[in-house]
Amino acid sequence: MRMNRMTAQPNVTAQKIVEFCRFARDRGLPVSVQETLGALEASAALGATRTDDLKFGLRSVLCSSKEDCDLFEQCFEAFWNGGTREASARQQPHARDTRHSRITRRNTHSMMSSGPSGEDGACEPEGAQAMAGASVCERLAKADFATLQQTDMAALEQIALRLFRQMARRLARRRRISTASGQVDLRRTIRRNVSRGGEPINLRFRERRPRPHRLVTLLDISGSMSPYSVFLVRFLFALQKHFRHVDTFLFSTSLVEITPMFRGRRLHDALRALSQLPAGWAGGTAIGGSLREFNQLHRRKLHSGDTLFLLLSDGWDTGQPSVLAAELARVKRQVRRVIWLNPLLGMKDYQPLTGGMSAALPHIDVFAAAHNLESLLALEKHL
Amino acid sequence: MGTSEHSPSSVGQDVDAVVAGFERQGYVIDRALATAIFLVTKLRKPILVEGHAGLGETELAKALASLLGTPLIRLQCYEGLDVSSAVYEWNYQKQLLAIKIEEQSKQTVEEKERHIFSREFLLERPLLQSIQFEDQSPVLLIDEIDRADEAFEAFLLELLSDFQITIPEMGTIHAKHVPYVVLTSNRSRELGDALKRRCLYQWIDYPSLEKEMRIVRTRLPGIEERLAQQVVAYVHAVRALNLSKPPGVAETLDCAEALMVLGKKQFDEQAIHETMGCISKSVEDNAKIKNAGVSTLLN
Repeated sequence: MRMNRMTAQPNVTAQKIVEFCRFARDRGLPVSVQETLGALEASAALGATRTDDLKFGLRSVLCSSKEDCDLFEQCFEAFWNGGTREASARQQPHARDTRHSRITRRNTHSMMSSGPSGEDGACEPEGAQAMAGASVCERLAKADFATLQQTDMAALEQIALRLFRQMARRLARRRRISTASGQVDLRRTIRRNVSRGGEPINLRFRERRPRPHRLVTLLDISGSMSPYSVFLVRFLFALQKHFRHVDTFLFSTSLVEITPMFRGRRLHDALRALSQLPAGWAGGTAIGGSLREFNQLHRRKLHSGDTLFLLLSDGWDTGQPSVLAAELARVKRQVRRVIWLNPLLGMKDYQPLTGGMSAALPHIDVFAAAHNLESLLALEKHL
Repeated sequence: MGTSEHSPSSVGQDVDAVVAGFERQGYVIDRALATAIFLVTKLRKPILVEGHAGLGETELAKALASLLGTPLIRLQCYEGLDVSSAVYEWNYQKQLLAIKIEEQSKQTVEEKERHIFSREFLLERPLLQSIQFEDQSPVLLIDEIDRADEAFEAFLLELLSDFQITIPEMGTIHAKHVPYVVLTSNRSRELGDALKRRCLYQWIDYPSLEKEMRIVRTRLPGIEERLAQQVVAYVHAVRALNLSKPPGVAETLDCAEALMVLGKKQFDEQAIHETMGCISKSVEDNAKIKNAGVSTLLN
């Protein structure tokens, strides 16, 4: 019925599509002017066709990931089919209309994002700066995760995301500068030596593109770690950007691989996938046992000389210290460096004297704190 | 760039024609993808096809090329792919030889230089080839773009917006006919926003039971209906097991073909073991399938 009217008046179609684009943007789809223009072009190319075709066409223009597609389905349903009420509201004069949609946007927004982390990172840095001035940043960067106020959590998360991303970028740059030159670059060599009759006298070299290490991380999510694991998960997610191969595991009493949940997703979606994991967050700890499981099943992921092994745990182990030591020693033989981050190390009078921790110490190359943002960012120099 | 001056009749004027055309090529296409492809031919935008491995992303480009009756140019991306293997490279050996041969000639250095940096010494790689066609637009398949690094992605972005390539020694080459560009990704990493925005987007999911049956029938016309049904149902059950590498349509076809070669009439426990290698690609997945038991996998 509505489609019929649309075919009669192409201008009406165009207007509808612009309205739909705005509608979708309000609901979180990344639709800018460019996409809106694309949508208009697409609908013009499709001409007067079935609703289905229009939907698929708009979807291919407006979406750029699977998650977008799912969101698009909802928006499209609401706007064209289910939302007669919505549609009639849109017939009202324009000024009121936009204000109305602003308000609904706020509401749906807070409902849709499951955590305080919000959307894909594109707009976050500005948001964080607006929210937190330099001094607040500094205070929060030094604050222990465990003693954090609930109100500071959101701000800290945004700062953390920004800093983690910066760190990843810095790491990439440092590598590019520091590598020595590699193969002869024939192209430039010839160019330089044409005047000498092509005899390659002045050699030109091409830098070998550096190959980042592999990173294998194990994050302790047992009860004693729970104030920290929220941030550490985000930290691990940010690290992914830098390393070519990252294998990520969670453990408490047993080991779960979460690599596939991290891969190719936005942080928001990755966290949602994690929250659906069957493994219980905040249970007991069996570090030695989990490491044994790792060695049995995933040892082939360790490439000696190329792999960094990163373990994030407070070292409270309910198992035998000897098991932990033996398994960690096995890991150590296969990797370039073992890094253990322990949040408790941030406490003034902490001594790594618990059975597990002291047994593990001889096999650790870098033992560092991980109780606040600063300590996590300090890890940069070991990566 | 002229958009509609060159839209081949074989694709036709609407989405139905695209669907029919692809079916003729033996490619079972759903309406959503057909609509996107239709828009590719009309708007001349690149399309980014994402999905799990083995769901026919690459086949799509091949089918599109043969449907349009144009050549297919394929660039397989990999880690460390650089401009010299994707765009162009000078034929160094030939250049060195040419310099030697011309040593005694009376040419000036400038003339020599101009000669050895002429087209004769240029090795054209896929991206350069794709913009050099005189009479028609080829299909350019950029396969598994997620494997290439971000630097290459940025370069590609530039190419996809201008369709021109600058070779310092020769000048800028503009495309006479803008290629139809199909990019595929298996989502091993997230692509840059800029690249995604430039493309139409299509997510390919695992096919429904009916669609997969149609694919099996189309690709393996000789298969017995009952066997095909059993295999497809089995693969669907396996996909529900949460394997580290769930089988795609390619694996279904492999498995069905293997059964035909083995002369099986019936898909049973024995057959599951014999065709395990077609479906599961790791020890852990093997174990998961075995643990799931025959009764859940065959019903």
